[in-house]
Amino acid sequence: MSGVGSTQAAERRLSQLVTVLAFALPVIFVLVPLAIFLVYSFFSVDQGTIVHSPTLGNYVRFFTDPIFLPVFWNTIVLCVSVAVICILLAYPAAYFLTTLKGRWRYALLMLLLVPLLMSYVIKIYAIRSILGLNGFLNKALVALGILDQPSTLFVFNMNAILLTLSLLLIPFAILPIFLSLERIPQTLLRASDDLGASSLQTFLRITLPLSLPGVASAASFVFVLAIGDFLTPQMVGGISGFTFGRILYSQFGTAYNWPFGAALSVALAIVVIAAILIGERFGRSRGTSV
Amino acid sequence: MGLKKAFLRLATIGLGIGLMTSAALAANLRVLAWDGYADPDWVKDFTAATGIGVDVVFIGSDDEIWAKIKGSEGQDFDVFAVNTAQLQRYIKADLVSPIDITKLPNQKDVLPRFRDLSQVSGDTKDGKVYGIPFCFDSIGLIYDTDKVKPAPTSMSVLWDPAYKGKILAYDNGEHNFSFTALTLGYKDPFNLNAEQMAAVKAKLVELKRNVLSFYTTADEAQQIYQNNDVALIWANYGQQQVKALQKIGAHVAYVNPSEGALAWLDNWVISKGVRDNAAAEKWIDFMLSKKIGGELSERTGFGNTVVESSSAGGNDKLVWLNNVEDPLKRSDMWNEVKATP
Repeated sequence: MSGVGSTQAAERRLSQLVTVLAFALPVIFVLVPLAIFLVYSFFSVDQGTIVHSPTLGNYVRFFTDPIFLPVFWNTIVLCVSVAVICILLAYPAAYFLTTLKGRWRYALLMLLLVPLLMSYVIKIYAIRSILGLNGFLNKALVALGILDQPSTLFVFNMNAILLTLSLLLIPFAILPIFLSLERIPQTLLRASDDLGASSLQTFLRITLPLSLPGVASAASFVFVLAIGDFLTPQMVGGISGFTFGRILYSQFGTAYNWPFGAALSVALAIVVIAAILIGERFGRSRGTSV
Repeated sequence: MGLKKAFLRLATIGLGIGLMTSAALAANLRVLAWDGYADPDWVKDFTAATGIGVDVVFIGSDDEIWAKIKGSEGQDFDVFAVNTAQLQRYIKADLVSPIDITKLPNQKDVLPRFRDLSQVSGDTKDGKVYGIPFCFDSIGLIYDTDKVKPAPTSMSVLWDPAYKGKILAYDNGEHNFSFTALTLGYKDPFNLNAEQMAAVKAKLVELKRNVLSFYTTADEAQQIYQNNDVALIWANYGQQQVKALQKIGAHVAYVNPSEGALAWLDNWVISKGVRDNAAAEKWIDFMLSKKIGGELSERTGFGNTVVESSSAGGNDKLVWLNNVEDPLKRSDMWNEVKATP
C-alpha cells in the first residue's frame, strides 16, 4: 500500500516539477533578460563604466539626435521592402507547390528549405562574391550583352542589402504561405468551379483571401528577421547601407555603451512586437471571418 | 598482502613524481605571451643556454592578459607581453616592476628607434623603464602597383577622386580619427580637442564618399579585393594582410605614410610578483637576440626590434598607438560619419 502511495506522490511531485519548469524556463530565459535590458536602458555610461542611476537620457538622445531617427526610419522602409519582395516571390512558388501531387510536393518543399541548413555567414560571403563589381552577376550581365560595363548598382549599398536579405529570407516566407494554401478545402474550389467562376475569379475571391493569414504571418516573419539582422548590412552594405542594426551593434562592440544600446534595442523591440501583433491580428481576423 | 605492498609502493612513487614536478614548476620562469612570442624551439634554446625552465601560457586578447595579471595581482607570472597603449594601465595599478636595462646587454644593439626608450611613448614612467619593445607592426597603406602610379607616400591619396570607389577603409572610429588627424598634421592624434574632432569628422565624411566599403577582418578585405576593382587598402592588419594578398597573386605593395603610420608595439614586462628577477631579465635579453628577432619576423610577418624587417624602413615615421581621449565620443562620431548621406 505504502509503495503505491509513494509512487503516486512521486508522480505528483514530478508533474509539479514539470509545471514549474514549464513556467520557469520562459521566465528565466525570456522575461528576465528582457527586463534586464529594459532596466539597463535607463542607465548611463561615464568613462567606460556603467552608472547605475536611472535617467531618461538615452531615450531623449534617440529622439533628438539627428542621426538615429532617419536611420531607424530608413531601416524600417528597407525591411518592409524586403518583406514585400519575399512575399511576391514566395507566393507563386508556394502556389506552385500546392498544385503538385503527393510526394513531389514535399520533396520540392524540402529542397526550397535546404538553404536554411547552411551557415548564414557562408551564404552572405557567397552572395557578396556574386554581387561584386567583378562578381558573377556583373560578369553574367556583361557576357549576355545586357550591360556594357559592370554596374555598381548592387555593390555595397542599400540595393545589395535588399537583394541579400530577400534571398536569405525567402524560405521563411514560402513555408507559412504554403501551409495556408494547403489548408484551403478543395471542395470550396470545386464549388466555385461548379458555379461557373473562372479560375482567375476563383483565385481572387477564394484562394487569395483564404491564404492572406499565411501571407500576413510570412510578412511579419521576414520583417522581424530582417530588422534584427546586423550582419548582412555590415557585410554587404558598404558606405551607404547604414542600418539601425549596425548602430546597435556598435554600441555593444566598439562604443561599449550598453545602456544606450539597450535603449535602441527597446525601440527596435517595440517595432518588432508591433509587427508580430499586426501580422497575427490581420491573419486571425481574415481567418475567422470566412 | 603482496597487493597492498605494490599499491603502497605505487603511491609512494606517485607522490615522489608529484613532488618533483611541483618542485620543478616552482623554479620555472612563468611567461604569459601571445602565440608566436615564445615558440617551443626558442624556449628549449633558452633553457639549454641558461638552465632555467620555462612555463609558457598563451593568451588571445588584451582583456585576457589584464584578467590574468590583475586577477592574481601579478603573482601568477614573472614575465608577460603587453602593448604600449595597455602598459600605462598596468603601471598605474602597480602590477609591473621597473626594469634595469643595464642587465640587458642586447638592448644596446636594437634598431635605432628602440634604443632610447624614453622616446618610445608608453614604455617609461617617471624616468623608469617598464617595457622592453619586442614586436611591432605598422598600419600602413596597401596599394595595387598596376593601378596606383606613382607610388603613394601619404594617406591623403585616400581622398584622391581618381580612386573614388576603389578604396577599402577600416570600420573603426578610434583608428580612423587618429590616422586622419595625422593626415591633417595634428601633433597628438590620440588627444584631439573639440575643434580638431570636428575637422577630422568632416574629413572622414569626405573619405566615406571616396571609399568602396569599410571592412572589419583581413579575410573580408581580401574577398572584396578579389571581386571588385580595388586600388588602395588602409591596412589595419599590416604585413599579414600584404603577404596574404601577395600569396593570391595580387600585385600589391606596402607603404608607411610620410606623415606617420599608426603602429602597435608589444613589450616584455616584468610583473610585480616576479620570483626571480634575474631569470626574467635573462629571458628578455635572450628574446632580444638577433636570431630570435629574425625568426620572429620570418614566422609571424611582424616587425622585430633587432633586425630590419618589411614592417618599417629605418626612416619611416611610426606613431605608437595610445589610448584615445574619449573612445565613446569617437565611436559616436564615427556612427555619425557613417549615417551622413
